[in-house]
Order: sequence, then structure tokens, then C-alpha cells
Amino acid sequence: MRRTTGLAAVSAVTMLIAGCGGGGPQSSGDSKLTDDKIVLGVLNDQSGVYSELSGKNSVKAVEMAIADFKAKHGDQVITDNISVEFADHQNKPDIANNRAAELYDRKGADAIFDVPTSSAALKVADVAKAKKKPYFNITGATTELTGKACNKYTFHYAYDTYMLANGTGRTVTEQGAKNWYIVYPDYAFGQDMEKSFSAAVQAAGGTIVGKDPTPFPNDNFSTFLLKAPTLNPKPDVLGTMQAGADLVNLVKQYNEFKLREKGVSLSVGLMFLTDIHSLTPDALAGTTYTDAWYWNFDQKNREFADRFQQETGARPTFAHAANYSAAFQYLEAVQAAGTDDADKVVEQLEGKTIEDVFLRNGKIRAEDHRVIHDAYLAEVKPAAEVTEPWDYVKILKTIPAEQAFASPSADCKM
Amino acid sequence: MSETSTVQPAESPAAAVPRSALGAVGAAPGWVRYALLLVGLAVALWLPNGLYPAIAVDILCWALFAVAIDLLLGFTGLMSFGHAAFWGTSAYATGLVAIHAGVPFPVAVLAGALVAAVLAVPIGYLAVKRTGIYFAMVTLAFAQMIYYIANKWGSVTGGENGLQSVPRELFGLDLSDEYYFYYAALPIVILGLAAAWRIVHSPFGRVLVGIRDNPARARALGYPVHRYKLTAFVLSAFLAGLGGGLFVMGHRFVSLDALHWTTSGKAVIVVVLGGIGTLWGGVLGAAILVRLEDWLSYSGFETIGLVTGGIFVLVVLLFRRGIWGSVAALAQRWRVRRR
Amino acid sequence: MSGFLQHTFNGLVGGAFYALLALGLAVIFGMLRVVNFAHGAFYMLGAFGAYVLLTEVGVPFWGALVIVPVVLGLFGMALERAFIHRLTRLDPLYNFLLTFGLTLILQDLVKSRYGVQSSPYATPAGLQGSVDFGLFTFPTYRVFVLGFAILACLGVWWLLTHTRIGMVVRAATERPELTRAFGINVGRWVTPVFGFGIALAGAAGVLAAPMRAVNPLMGTDLIIVVFAVVVIGGLGSIFGSVAAGFGIGLLQAWGEAYLSETAPILAQTLVFIVMAVVLLWRPAGLFGREESPA
Repeated sequence: MRRTTGLAAVSAVTMLIAGCGGGGPQSSGDSKLTDDKIVLGVLNDQSGVYSELSGKNSVKAVEMAIADFKAKHGDQVITDNISVEFADHQNKPDIANNRAAELYDRKGADAIFDVPTSSAALKVADVAKAKKKPYFNITGATTELTGKACNKYTFHYAYDTYMLANGTGRTVTEQGAKNWYIVYPDYAFGQDMEKSFSAAVQAAGGTIVGKDPTPFPNDNFSTFLLKAPTLNPKPDVLGTMQAGADLVNLVKQYNEFKLREKGVSLSVGLMFLTDIHSLTPDALAGTTYTDAWYWNFDQKNREFADRFQQETGARPTFAHAANYSAAFQYLEAVQAAGTDDADKVVEQLEGKTIEDVFLRNGKIRAEDHRVIHDAYLAEVKPAAEVTEPWDYVKILKTIPAEQAFASPSADCKM
Repeated sequence: MSETSTVQPAESPAAAVPRSALGAVGAAPGWVRYALLLVGLAVALWLPNGLYPAIAVDILCWALFAVAIDLLLGFTGLMSFGHAAFWGTSAYATGLVAIHAGVPFPVAVLAGALVAAVLAVPIGYLAVKRTGIYFAMVTLAFAQMIYYIANKWGSVTGGENGLQSVPRELFGLDLSDEYYFYYAALPIVILGLAAAWRIVHSPFGRVLVGIRDNPARARALGYPVHRYKLTAFVLSAFLAGLGGGLFVMGHRFVSLDALHWTTSGKAVIVVVLGGIGTLWGGVLGAAILVRLEDWLSYSGFETIGLVTGGIFVLVVLLFRRGIWGSVAALAQRWRVRRR
Repeated sequence: MSGFLQHTFNGLVGGAFYALLALGLAVIFGMLRVVNFAHGAFYMLGAFGAYVLLTEVGVPFWGALVIVPVVLGLFGMALERAFIHRLTRLDPLYNFLLTFGLTLILQDLVKSRYGVQSSPYATPAGLQGSVDFGLFTFPTYRVFVLGFAILACLGVWWLLTHTRIGMVVRAATERPELTRAFGINVGRWVTPVFGFGIALAGAAGVLAAPMRAVNPLMGTDLIIVVFAVVVIGGLGSIFGSVAAGFGIGLLQAWGEAYLSETAPILAQTLVFIVMAVVLLWRPAGLFGREESPA
């Protein structure tokens, strides 16, 4: 008993100090469009490794979504006052944490978009939950966002490790490549990818003849590349879960050791259009990977890509298209709910089926807030077939939305 | 103390200030010292009202980290370029204890700092066999090894996903807001800083300075030099661990960044900026650098390394005493002239 | 057996990069008592130099292999005169910090101009095939890299043993107190030797361009491993640095080949474990001499 009173005194003192300061936290209350504006927050990497595949151009994509939304609803639009706030998290989760709280609290953001790198993505999910404001993750890859870390206000768009690994592992095996040698970077992303990938290969009737963890980061993969053709039975495919600079290292060395000529083709777990650009299509010709969206897939995508290029001077990656789609669908939900009250907007979004430039056969699963949609198995074209800049791949197969993503995880408790 | 001792060029980072600048504050009249202390406390109490509270918490943590590094660099003459190993290890340990044991957060932070201190024993044992530049390289390499292990050991550390949703528990008090948490963390930081001050001004601290200035003489006098250095290393790791543990509690998660060598580098920058061998300079350096990085990330300025690297080069070339050291030296010179 | 030979050869190629970088670090340390943190950044600049020469000037690999080390060497000499020189009379830690700051600046300058995505660089014409060694074949380019590194190390060895400047450098590196005691003036050789060390890092960077990802951060993680290498070899020993470079390359290749599946953590941290053992057993490094405490 005495302890409780003591504690009460301590907390009273703390409150007093806080009160004296006068600058204590103001609970942001509900801004039910009472302030007659909607603010979309974009939090991503504007200077580091993800800045080119998402970065500033994702802010542009969100601005495009706002313009299109206003144009669509004309006079009926819920408010004309829709703006974008953005911040750079430098791929550091601690900065992401501060920035996300600031966007919600001080910049009046009604929702946050993008947030690459898994650690930052998960941290912001925590913030969204605490602040009770919607959050659309686009560029985080971890399935934990819709697993252990899932919550009412977090939606996971675009892709995840399961989609990437399953799409490639399963589809390539079904197309006849039975024996696999897998190398993966020995950290959470790589370990997750390897598990999903091996399971997908085996489910499709393939065999894993060998798998090796590699240091991360790493600039020398030659040992593993020397080993590949000596395995018994000889693998048909080298499946690599490396990403970013490690992937570039591996692919350069794969070509040096002439594994394709030795009958070992290459499949990549995670690759972005910007990776192909930096390696040049020739270095990757014939390589398969799973893509969430491709700008030159059909007329609809192409039109979007043309407009995007006018705005930014570059072709959109799937992250740009997904940011556009997420912002647009969020605004649609606000329009339908007639308020930006987070709970009502979430209610509008849950279970909704959507067709737009990014989401094909799209659906926002109510169980875990995974946004599912068609994915694509892509193959890099040889340089001779590349007819215009940035048109580097052809789509081999569309993976239907229901197959592309894992079924809702038992770990997710909303 | 003669005028020349304050203006002669510093021969080593450690000797950059101590006998002159530390002496300057030490020799300052009592009322100046108390006034400085009061101003410091007032600023600390006011801080989260003037800054975004989360940034204020970051400043506290980095201040502890910087003082821990200065304890080694300024007062023992050992530059650790791998202190992220202790900051980060404590961060993970604190997070794991908080998640699995549900203890009040100061207990978790203490546990984390203890783990960091334990880790410092073998690393320190090997590292103190070398001095100077070798010591910096060896600590850097060991820190990198710890980074590799944490990254790989995803089942415990969460790997690159980090350790998320660390609870922040204190007898049921609602500390979910950074503003209140700042005041809950402040006493721990003040205790840590006071401990550092106590160490420096204890007989043990004086032996350390003696070893720094002339290891051969200290050895000749019969002091077990290696053991003294190791003890300082472990104490420093413990303080860095306190900072790392609080940092986790402040952000309620741990990421691998905490162990990366850039974190070690940033901590050394903070100390050099504030002033090596001044102890409190690190606090000042932390406030400036944390605030600057925060501002840069909003400014849309893309080359942050250019700014921090540029500041670093300038400080090393022109203001080796750092901010605190320069001010202290100026004050001393002013007093000497008035006399 | 052919597998083992292949991995051994491969380890030597990996070690070639460590050896070239460690050699540069060692001669610079020998003359200036400076551990150049920016060595990794110069390696990166070497690779970017090759890339820029190819894409913006049209100079192929062979030209780059000559031009880049010379230009970077001159740049290094300018830096030495402008900055490092001012601090050489102070504790070496100051120059370590200075070069750390320079690393951040150089990285960011390159990043702001060329982005963080890796830049493409193809294997040079004429070196694209494979060499058949009977028991195994190996990419021609890698054989060339190994040959180049061995020749460079032998060349430096010849310079050190057959020229006056070489003997001064060797004396200053391996018997610093004695050199000073004899009153040998090392001052005027300091700047050229610094430039030479940087040129070696630049050459390593050019060699890396066709086989590794060319991006602003490529040097940073590498330099930490190279620090471990010179601690193992003994920073005061030029031969030790080179030997440890090749040795660590070999150990890493064998570790990855035979331990990855059974003990990955061991394979990935091998170099640090070796460093710890060496520190326990011979704190001055395998080939180093214990200096009298300064």
C-alpha cells in the first residue's frame, strides 16, 4: 500500500514537472477533417540504397495520386486541401521512429506511406499502432508485418519475402529446372528467403542439391561459384537470395566463372529494375525473378509510366506504382467514409477488392491486412532485344493473386 | 600553471587538454563551478520542452556514450573505435531482458550494461595488449565480429528486422510518451555521469592519467598497467552500455545499426567535437551532433557524411581541444591576463 | 583434389586484394606512423576512376590501370601536403581521425555524383576467357589479377632492397628508433611514399572494378578486414602484411568451401578469430617486432 502512495507521489511530481514545462505532449485528438485537410506522409530513404528505387520519386507518385483523385471526384471531392509531407529516414530505424511520430503528431499526417528496410518498417508499424493512424508499407519485405507485428492500422502493399521466393522457386521448378543450388546471405532476410524458397522448390517437385549461407555484406562469392558445377547431381539453377550490392557482386562473378555456359542458370530472389540497370541487361540475360509490377506489361501500365516519366524523367519501379496506388486507395476510402477518422477508414479498406494500375485482382485481406494481387515471373532480355531504355524484362507468367501470397499467418492477432 | 602550458600544441589527443583545461575548470572559483552545474541541470530539466522529446532522449543516451569513450580516450589514452560493440550488446541484452522478464526498465538497462561489461573483459584483455593506433584497429575489428554474429543470430536478435516492441515498464507508470520517459531516464544518466566524474577524480583515475602520460614510469612504480587499463575499459563499456540500454528504451526497439562501426565512429566524433579529456565536452558534442543530424534529415540535404566528415576534419585540424576545451582554455587565458 | 587446388588458387586471388591494400597501409605507416583509414575510400576511388574513364572519356581498362594509380597517387600527395603533414608530429590517432573524416567526405562526394546503385563495368577484352590448368580451369581475368598482385609485391620488394629510398623506407618501418638514432633524414621521402601507398590502393580498385560491385561503399567494410590483416601480419613489417594478406585470403576460401555448411559462423568470422589468437600468442603480429612503448 505504502508503495503505491509513494509511486503516486513520484508520478505526481513527474506530472508537475511536465505541466510546468507547458510544452508537454499535446494529444493530437481527432482531426476529423475538422481542420478540413488531409496530409499524406511519405517516409523513406532519400539518400541511401533505396533512394533510387523509391525515394523522392515516390513522393511524386503520391502527388500524382492526389491530382488524379481530385480530378476523379471534381466538385464532390471531400476536400481540396490535400498535401504531402515527406521525411528521410536514412535507412535507420531510430530515425524512422522519430520521424514517424513527428509526421503523425506535428505534421498532421493522416497516413504514412512507403518505409523501406524491414527494421524501420516494423518500427513504424509499432508507431502507427500507438498513434492509431493508418500506415501503408510498400517497400518493407518482411512477412512479420502481416505476422507477429500485424495491427489494425498497418497495411502491407506490393511484396514480401514469401511472394518473391515462392513465385520464383515454384514457377521455375514447374518449368523444368529440378535441381537447385541455393546461396543466401546469412541474416534475417536471407534466412527467411531461403526457407520459403526451399519449401517452394520442394513443393513443386524440385530438389535442393546444396545450399550455403554467405557472409553479409560480402564482395567475394567465388568459392560458392566454383562449388556449384561440382555438386552431384549438377544443379540446373543457382538460386541467389542476395540483394543490392551483394547481388551485383554475385552476378558479376557468376558471369566471370561462366556458369551459364556450364549449364547452371541463374534465379534471383529479390531484384529491382534499378539493379538490372546497374548491372546492364547483358550481364543478367536469361535470369529469372519475381516482380510485383512491370511498367511495360500492358497498355494501362505503359500510360502510367509515360505520365510518370513526364513528371520525373524516369520509368517507375513497382515501388513507385504501389505508392501511387496506396495513396489513391486511401483517399478513396476517406471519400467513401466521409471522414478521415482512422477507424472508419480502416473499416472501408478491410476486405475491399480493387482493380487499379498497380493492383490486378487486388484485395485487401481483412484478416492480416496483406494486400494481395497478381505477381509476375520475369526474365531479363538479352541486350539485343532491348529496344528502348529501361525496357529490360519480359513477363513469362502471371502468378494469380491467391497463389502469389501466403495465406494469413496464425501469428497475426489483430 | 603557466600561460605556455595552455597554448602549446597538443602532443596527443589525451594530453590535448587535461592538465591545462581540466585544471582550468578545476581551478575555477567555486561559485563558477556551482553555477555551471546549476545551469547544466536547468538545461537538462528544460530540454524536452525546447526540443522534440524523442531527440532530447537521444541526446541523453549519446551523452553517456560520449563520456564513456572519453573516460578511455581522454583519461587512459586508449582510443576505442569499436565501442558500438558495448553500446549495441547492451542494447540487445536490455531489450531481451525487458521482453522476457518484464522487469522495470532501469533494471533491464542495468542488466544490459552488466552484459556489456562482461563482454568487455575478453575483448579488453586482448586489446590492451596493444596501445595507440593498434588499439583502435583491434577494437574496431572485434566490434565488426560482434556485428557479424548479431546479424547472423537472427533467432535471438531479430537480425536485420531488429528487436521490436520492447516494453517500457516502470511500476505501472504510463511512460508511453517520450516526454515523460525523458524525466524517468534523466536520473539514470545523471548517476552515470556522476560515476564517470567520480572515477576520474578518484585515486584510480589519477593512476590512469599517470599511465596515459608515462606508462613506463607507472610500470616502474609497480602499477599493474594492463590491469588498470582493462578495468578502465570495462568501466567504460559499462557506461556505454547504460547509454545503449536507455537508447533501446527510448526507441523501444534495437536494430543492427547499434552495432555497426559507423556508430563507433559517430561516438568518437562526438567526443572530439566536444573536447577530448574534458568529460563534459562529450555531453555538449552529443547535443550538437544529434541535433544537427536531425536537422539535416529534414533539410533535404543528401550529403550528410560531407557535413559530419567536414566538421570532423576541421576540428581535428584546427580545434583539437574541441568546443569545451577551447572555451576552457580561453577562460583560463582571460583569467591569467587579468591577474 | 582438383576442388582443393581450385579453392586454394581462388583464395590467393582474394588474398591479392588484401595484400595490395595491406602493403600500401604498411609502407605509409612505416614512413608516417599514420594508419590511413581512407585507404578503403581510395580503393573505391580507384574503381570509380576506371568507371569514369571508360564511360566519360572512353579509356579502356588497360589505360585506367596506368592512369588511375598515377592520378590518385598525385591526389594522395596533395592531401598529404595539405592535411596529414600538419598532424604528423602529433599522436598518430589524430591522423587516424582525420583520414576517417576524409573517408566520409570522399564517400559522400562520390555518392552525390554517381548514386549508391552499383555502376556497371565489364571484364576487359582479351581477359574474358578461361585458363585451363589441367586439373581445373579458372577465369583468365582472375589469373591476371593474381599475377599482377604478385608482380607488384615483387616489384616493391625489389625497390625496398635495391634502391636507396627503399632502404630508407624499410629502415624507417622496421627499425624506427634506430633509423632516427642514426640521423637518417626520412622527411623528403614522406610525401612520395604516401602517394605510392595510395597508388597501390587505386590499382587494387581498378582491378576490382570488373569483378566486384562498383559503389561508394565498396571500400568501407573491406578496410576493416584489412586492418585485421595488418594486425595479424604485424603493421611494422612490410613482408608480414603481404604474407598475412595472402594467408587470410587462403583461409577464407578454405573456410567458405569446407565450413560453410557445418560451421557457417566460424567461416564468416575466421579472420577475426585468427586475429584474437595472434594477439594472445604474439601481440606484435606474426612478423612484427614489439616496439618500445612510446
